[in-house]
Amino acid sequence: MTRKKAKRPADAVVTMVVLKLYIADTAPNSARAIANLAAICKEYLGDGFELEIIDVLEYPQRALADGIIVTPSLTKLSPSPLTKIVGNLSDTRSVLHALGIT
Amino acid sequence: MKSRTRTKIRAGRPKRVTRADVPRSFEDNILRLIKGAPECRAIRAGEVDAVLDPVSGKAILMPAAQAEFIEHKARFRSLVDLASDGYWEQDENYRFVLHTGAAIGNERTGDAGILGKALWELSFDNGSEIDWQTHRTQLEWRAIFRDLEFSCVDSAGQLRRISISGEPIFDAETRFTGYRGITREIAAREQTTTAAPGSDGFARATLDALAAQVCVLDTQGSIVSANVAWRAFAATCGGSGPAIAENDNYLAACAGAVGNERVDAVAMAAGIRQVIAGEREMFRYERLCGTPPAARWFMATVTHLHGAGAARAIVAYEDITEIKHAERLHGLERIVARCLATADDTAAAVQAVVNAVCAAQGWDCGRYFRLDSASGVLIGGESWGLPEVAVEQFMAKSGSTVVRADAGLAGRACASGEPLWILSGAQNTRAPTALAHETGMAGTFVFPVRVAGESIGALAFNGRSVREPDERLLQAVRSIGEQLGEFLQRRQAEDGLRRSEELLRRLTELSVDWRWEQDTKFRFTQIVGNGMAGTGDMLGKTLWELPGIVLGDDQWVAHKSEISAQWSFCDFECAVALPDGQFGYYCLSGEPLYDAAGVFSGFHGTGLDITERKRAEIALQKAAAR
Repeated sequence: MTRKKAKRPADAVVTMVVLKLYIADTAPNSARAIANLAAICKEYLGDGFELEIIDVLEYPQRALADGIIVTPSLTKLSPSPLTKIVGNLSDTRSVLHALGIT
Repeated sequence: MKSRTRTKIRAGRPKRVTRADVPRSFEDNILRLIKGAPECRAIRAGEVDAVLDPVSGKAILMPAAQAEFIEHKARFRSLVDLASDGYWEQDENYRFVLHTGAAIGNERTGDAGILGKALWELSFDNGSEIDWQTHRTQLEWRAIFRDLEFSCVDSAGQLRRISISGEPIFDAETRFTGYRGITREIAAREQTTTAAPGSDGFARATLDALAAQVCVLDTQGSIVSANVAWRAFAATCGGSGPAIAENDNYLAACAGAVGNERVDAVAMAAGIRQVIAGEREMFRYERLCGTPPAARWFMATVTHLHGAGAARAIVAYEDITEIKHAERLHGLERIVARCLATADDTAAAVQAVVNAVCAAQGWDCGRYFRLDSASGVLIGGESWGLPEVAVEQFMAKSGSTVVRADAGLAGRACASGEPLWILSGAQNTRAPTALAHETGMAGTFVFPVRVAGESIGALAFNGRSVREPDERLLQAVRSIGEQLGEFLQRRQAEDGLRRSEELLRRLTELSVDWRWEQDTKFRFTQIVGNGMAGTGDMLGKTLWELPGIVLGDDQWVAHKSEISAQWSFCDFECAVALPDGQFGYYCLSGEPLYDAAGVFSGFHGTGLDITERKRAEIALQKAAAR
């Protein structure tokens, strides 16, 4: 399962945050991570983000190639620096820090 | 560098267990392999669902995620069961490899006649070669097919119409592995809508629509007809009760019953014979079928059938397991209420409650943990367990348990105010006790004991058969927790009052020389202490009947008037002529007593010997007069 969500306002000036969330199907922490990330993106990023959700049960090789060891894992690809956070993303402060929002 | 532990075996001493001997949990093994600190932290916090194995290139699910998927699958299967009459799976050659529920074709459910065969190899009345070819093409294209309709005549001679739907299955490498799908019985549904009221078809469809298992017996006790629910139960269970197959003889099956079912079978057979013979119109019998935990309660009703050819009796089995369960819990609540209402001793009452809960739920042992608010720990207290060696050892080993109020299942139940449980057979490495593996009592159920929304303790139960509680059980344990909490608080208040009364009595005894009690006629009924010297035996006499008391008539009249009006009196002084010719002086105080109904029951009070003080006063007065 890979799902892509891209939201771009017509005259976007703000930097687009590109994220990849690695999950394991509908496992409890993965489901929680999706919900937590959706809430954070909605509140802090508005339309300025692009998120790809990758199911490691379907695409394990892709996750390994990206250096992912455990799921759920969230990587911020841009803007640099590349950051990674592991877990169900329930600690909003840590997620914001990893996204460079704080 | 790894440290090594030497192991020396000495005669008569147990082998010393090294770290290497302790089996590692899955989590420990994963943590050994993973180097990243954030990853390790997330695993320890239970926030990881899967770990990617670079060697195999696959994702390995953590136990919690695996359990969730299993439960998800069970939920899915349950929904499929609700929405359809049967479920099936085929291999890559379209041969049935799994089949549950309603039969496909003429074959009975679970019959080897279905497994290993393709759909077109089964017996259908309406499957032409062209139809099958079309279907095979669908399969080759890996297409989803919906509502393929087939008809056949089953072993009972009934026309069956079946709808089959399926979808292809692919593995992780997108290789085709077969098909899976569902079956639905169309005929039964259509019968109810097409059969005319009063016709045999209508009657049959009505019977089949019943949730209860129903069969019709002839004069010999043979089952001449059974509804769908009966046939389904017979096919899945086998045995006695509603599990006797159509065309079998019910009475013969009853006669052949063994073990625990023997008594029920004999009673049922006797009732059926009476109904068939017309000796009674109806026979009802409550019985348990199967063995725990799958056992279910049924209410069997046998009704006499008039003028219906060979048919003589209808046997209907209604599943009353839920009702019995609710009754049992209601009974438990009543037992607990009675234990607490009649208890003389707090510890015995708590133990009786633990015993009652264990007996009702089939748990092996239980213990009350008291929350000590001062030290913030839960202290193990009253307990009860089955008289078995394993249980007794378990209770002895965990006898004086003291746990932190925020730790363990009992602590968490106290903190959350909600019941918590670990089911039997759950592979939980954080089981509440390390003794669980020794005793087999892996299941635990804990609920808080509460007063006015605050936890004051917890009741913890262990057993081999702790199952997922339903809402009724949770409601019952909440009620029991509150009843016990109120009882313990009441007893605590009563104990406090009793201690306070005792203290007051001791203080009173220090300040007075004697205590007394009188009946409604003002006769002394109890004297505690020395009493009044020179008056002889005071019991049974009023104050004015005592010999030697020196008091003026006016004073007696005033005193009698006071006590007749049930007024309290204080420092009533009187003199008593002593044998040595001198006077003794006493001071009495008293107040009226009333019983629970508010009826006057006498007086009680205290007496003080004031002889020395009075003599000193008299001497002073004489000296002043001189």
